[in-house]
Amino acid sequence: MFNNSKFTKPTWLSISWLGLMLFLAVFGSLLPFKSWKFVYEDDLGVVPFSPGHILGTDNNGYDLLASLIAGTRMSIFIAVTAVSLGGLIGSALGITAAFVRGKVDTVMSTLFNVGLAVPNLVLALALVSVLATNVDINQSVPTWRRVMVLIVSLTIVLIPILGRIARGATLSWSGRDFVTAARSMGMRDRQIIMKHIVPNVLPALIAVAFLAVGVVIIAEASLSILGVGIPDGASWGGMIARGRNDLEYSPHVLYIPVIFLAITVISTNQIGEVLRSKLDSREAKV
Amino acid sequence: MSKFNFWLQRAAQVIIVLLIVTFGASLLLRLIPVDLATILIPNGSESEREILRNEIGLNKGPIGYYLQWLGDFVQGDLGKIYFSGGTETVSDHLAKAMPRSLLLMAYTQVFALSVAIPLGVISAYRAGRRTDRIISNILFVMASIPGFAIALILIIVVGVKLAWLPTLGYATYSEGIWEHFKHMLMPVLSLSFGLIATYTRLLRADMIASLREDYVTMAMSKGLSDRRILWKHVFRPSSITLFTSAALSMGGLIGGAIVIESIFATYGVGFEIFAAIAGRQYISLQSCVAVISLFYVFFNLVVDIGSGFVDPRTRDRRANV
Repeated sequence: MFNNSKFTKPTWLSISWLGLMLFLAVFGSLLPFKSWKFVYEDDLGVVPFSPGHILGTDNNGYDLLASLIAGTRMSIFIAVTAVSLGGLIGSALGITAAFVRGKVDTVMSTLFNVGLAVPNLVLALALVSVLATNVDINQSVPTWRRVMVLIVSLTIVLIPILGRIARGATLSWSGRDFVTAARSMGMRDRQIIMKHIVPNVLPALIAVAFLAVGVVIIAEASLSILGVGIPDGASWGGMIARGRNDLEYSPHVLYIPVIFLAITVISTNQIGEVLRSKLDSREAKV
Repeated sequence: MSKFNFWLQRAAQVIIVLLIVTFGASLLLRLIPVDLATILIPNGSESEREILRNEIGLNKGPIGYYLQWLGDFVQGDLGKIYFSGGTETVSDHLAKAMPRSLLLMAYTQVFALSVAIPLGVISAYRAGRRTDRIISNILFVMASIPGFAIALILIIVVGVKLAWLPTLGYATYSEGIWEHFKHMLMPVLSLSFGLIATYTRLLRADMIASLREDYVTMAMSKGLSDRRILWKHVFRPSSITLFTSAALSMGGLIGGAIVIESIFATYGVGFEIFAAIAGRQYISLQSCVAVISLFYVFFNLVVDIGSGFVDPRTRDRRANV
């Protein structure tokens, strides 16, 4: 399914953009920039494309390019970790439930339905706000704990979504003849799952995982705008939240992270859609 | 299985799901490593906290606390907002906020559908041609831009630069219908962008499939006009999918509305949740989450039953699963 000969131009653009984002996320700290927390006291609210500040600075004197690189690392890290964890746990539960059937499946489906009964963002919001509670209201929660809480909450939100997709895909595959054949040849359940079910279910999950990365990036930004995400502008959502404060005089502080976030989400959606349509055409041939 | 038994089973499932959701929410509150009474009234004295603990059953253990909360909830007592001395109840707040949120969602759905239906019909009619390709590409980008980004850009351009619309607040009908819609326009636009894209793509795909049906060829051979075939023979069966998915997108809409409501300060349910979190009024948060899930799950159930009545095929298909 991943033969790359038929990718169109927008798909290549999306792949390169995501590649660039991954590069910034992994190697951003090695680039020759000052820390994003460095305050340029003489350059407050500089517009983009100024000498020394390609993307300008905000009204506090933070360089926006440096902030963006730090934000990319945080947003991509949260999104990739949450989707991988949610995908692993969700698909393990979903595949097992659909393969074993019976009571296990009933319980698992009910639990998935419980997760899906609360709208995504409401669930994430409730989990994040409760898990990141401090005794003293004036004492701020350390950033690493906020990141952990965000990842855990978003993972919990993703498990039923991805789990249900894995369950549905497994149900349609486990009834096929080759599974019956493998079973009649005395293959163990675990082997059947690893050799026959997982390779068939995986492509669909990967396609959905790309879409999920976009969803998680937006969710993280939404939580930051609501004030329960990453504080101080260390992520794209945090930058957007901070940019809201000086909308009137330096709107570029808001535009730049919004544009980065939107292009990234467009790219993940494009790749997810392409993978899904390739999958559908493969399914049609079977 | 008889039809009645089938729906009875569905209703039982829904109730079990809701019980687990609400129990999970109250368990989550009890898992906080901090004393809940201290969080609810940070400036109160120890005796006041003790009264509060007795009042809401914090000293009863998780199951006792849940049962007391559930009993109160069923009787319409959703707890209080203790921040302001415990005089305001959550149900009063929600009674004020609910209609606003429901109006916002109703406007959003109506607006999104009234844009998406013509677009979907045109692009299905011109499938694969230039008009269709342009619409599809624009919609793909629209679907990917989050609502809050559109909201913030609208605020900069329409609210601040052009100063055409108010950027904050809400106006009731009694303050003038024109004022009301002026306050609602930007929130509705920001919420409906993504929905328009979803609905149009769905309608397009469904209508293209319907266009291949034999009865369409039959209608064409009878010499009916394209317009009549499109709307009467193709749009009508395809619209069921569209309206079902419109109803099912309510969950995402509620989530999106929290952010949009807090950006525009429209004081709806979403804003209520935001305020509960900001003021650490977790009892209010627990009740709001319960109300939203209740609303959402029953809405889905009604849609399920409704679409079964409108289109018997879906009913049979579901019954077989």
